[in-house]
Amino acid sequence: MPVSYTTVLQEHKAVREACGVFDVSHMGEVLVTGANAGAFLQYLTINDIEKLKDGSGQYSAMLHDHGGMIDDLIVYRLKSDRFLLCVNASNTAKDFAWIEKQAAKFGGVQVANESSAWSQLAVQGPNSAKAVEVLIGATDLAQFRSLQYMDIMSITLFGKAALVARTGYTGEHGYEIYLPNAVAEKTWLALMETQPATGIQPIGLGARDTLRLEACYLLYGNDMNDEVSPLEAGISWATRLTKGEFIGRNALLAQKEAGPKRSQFAFVMSEDGIARSGMEIYRNGEKIGVVTSGSVLPTVGGAGGMALITRGKASLNDEVEVDVRGKRKLARLVQKPLYKAKVKG
Amino acid sequence: MEFPVGLKYTKDHEWIELSSGVAKVGVTAYAIDQLGDIVHVDLPKVGDTFEAGAAFGTIESTKTVSDLYMPVAGKVVEVNKAATDNPESLQTDPYKNGWLVKLEVKGTPSAGALLDASAYEAFVADGSH
Repeated sequence: MPVSYTTVLQEHKAVREACGVFDVSHMGEVLVTGANAGAFLQYLTINDIEKLKDGSGQYSAMLHDHGGMIDDLIVYRLKSDRFLLCVNASNTAKDFAWIEKQAAKFGGVQVANESSAWSQLAVQGPNSAKAVEVLIGATDLAQFRSLQYMDIMSITLFGKAALVARTGYTGEHGYEIYLPNAVAEKTWLALMETQPATGIQPIGLGARDTLRLEACYLLYGNDMNDEVSPLEAGISWATRLTKGEFIGRNALLAQKEAGPKRSQFAFVMSEDGIARSGMEIYRNGEKIGVVTSGSVLPTVGGAGGMALITRGKASLNDEVEVDVRGKRKLARLVQKPLYKAKVKG
Repeated sequence: MEFPVGLKYTKDHEWIELSSGVAKVGVTAYAIDQLGDIVHVDLPKVGDTFEAGAAFGTIESTKTVSDLYMPVAGKVVEVNKAATDNPESLQTDPYKNGWLVKLEVKGTPSAGALLDASAYEAFVADGSH
C-alpha cells in the first residue's frame, strides 16, 4: 500500500465526499472455532461477546495480565461456534502466538491464522454502498442493504465464498470485504468500474491515517501499545469490567480503583505548526504528556491529534504547549472525536 | 517540470535569484513534487543571519518535514507571509510568488556551489538522491 496514489489531501477529500477503496490485505485474519469459541473469546478479549449475535461484530482488544494492550481488534460472530478476528498487520504474528497459547490452555477451541489466504478491501465514503452493491448477488441484496454498523454477512464473489462487513477506519459509511486472494484483483477492478457513478478511487496509507485520526480511531504503536491500558487509551466504552473474568481484568480493576496514570485527549493546534507523534506536551513549564498521533486535519481544518496526558495535569478545554522541534506551540485539549463519524448514517 | 533559466540551484533543492545585492530564495518544483501536499512552512525572522548551507526553516508536507538550506550566506531582509499563510500555493507556483525569503547576500557566492538550470535538471534526472 503506497503512501498515496494522487495526494494525501485529495484522497482524504475523496473519501469524505465520494468513495475510496483501500487495499488492506496486510491486515490479519484469525478464525476461532469450536464449542468453546465464544467462552474463550469472552476470556481473551475486553468487550462482551454475549452482546454479539450471528452476523454482528464488535470493537475489542486483547490485554496482557498487567493490563497493557497486545492489540486492538474486531471480533465478528459468524456462527455461535465460529468467530473471525481482524487484527493489525504488524501484530499478527505476536497476536496469533498469544491466541494459540491461550487457546491450548482453555481447551475446546481451534484457532487458525488465515491471514495469508485472505485479501481485504475497504470501501469507504458516502457512495460506498453503491460501489459495493455491484458485487452483491440478487439473492443477497436485501440483506446487504439492511446491514447495520458492525454487521457482517457471507457473499459469493466470482464463485468464491467471501464476507462483507459494514465497518471501517475512516469515520464514513463504509464496508470491509474479506475475500480469497484468487478473486481480489477481479473484485478491485469491478469496484473501480463504478467510478463514473461513485467517484471511487484508490486511497493510500497517508489518507488512511488522516481519516482515522480525525475520527479519533486509535492506531496501534502510536496511541496504544503493550504498556498502555484500554482505560488510558480512551476505550473504556469497549471494556466490560462487569462481564466476568478476562485476561487483564484484575489489573484494570486496580487501575480503576487508583485512577489511571494517564488519559487520552484529542487536541487542536491554536497556533501555526503541526504536532507529530512523539512530540512532548507542556503546561506551565512542566512536561505533562506526549503526542501519540498528530497531523493536519484536512476536513476539520488546521492541525491536531491525540495525546496521552498525565492524570490531573490538564483537563478538557485547557491550553497546553506542544514542543514542535524546539518551539512551543499552543494547542487546546478538546472533546473527542475531532470529526464526528457518519458510520451509522 | 519547470526550472527557470534565470535562477541558480542547489543540490538541496533550493533555488536563488541573485540580483544586485538582494536575493530571493525558494524551493524547486522538483522538491515540491517529491514532498507532496505542502501543509506548513516555517521561516526565520527578518534580521536573522545564516551561513551558506545552514538550515533556515522547515517545509512540511502530509508525508514528511524537511529542512530548508541557505544557498548562500546572508541576512534575511524580508519573509514571504503569503507562503506561510498559504503553503499549498507553493505547489502551483514555487518560483514567482513562491519565494520564501529575501536575503542581503554576504560576500560573493562561490560560483562552484550553485548549479544553473540545465545542471540542476541533469542532477534531478539522475535520480540517485
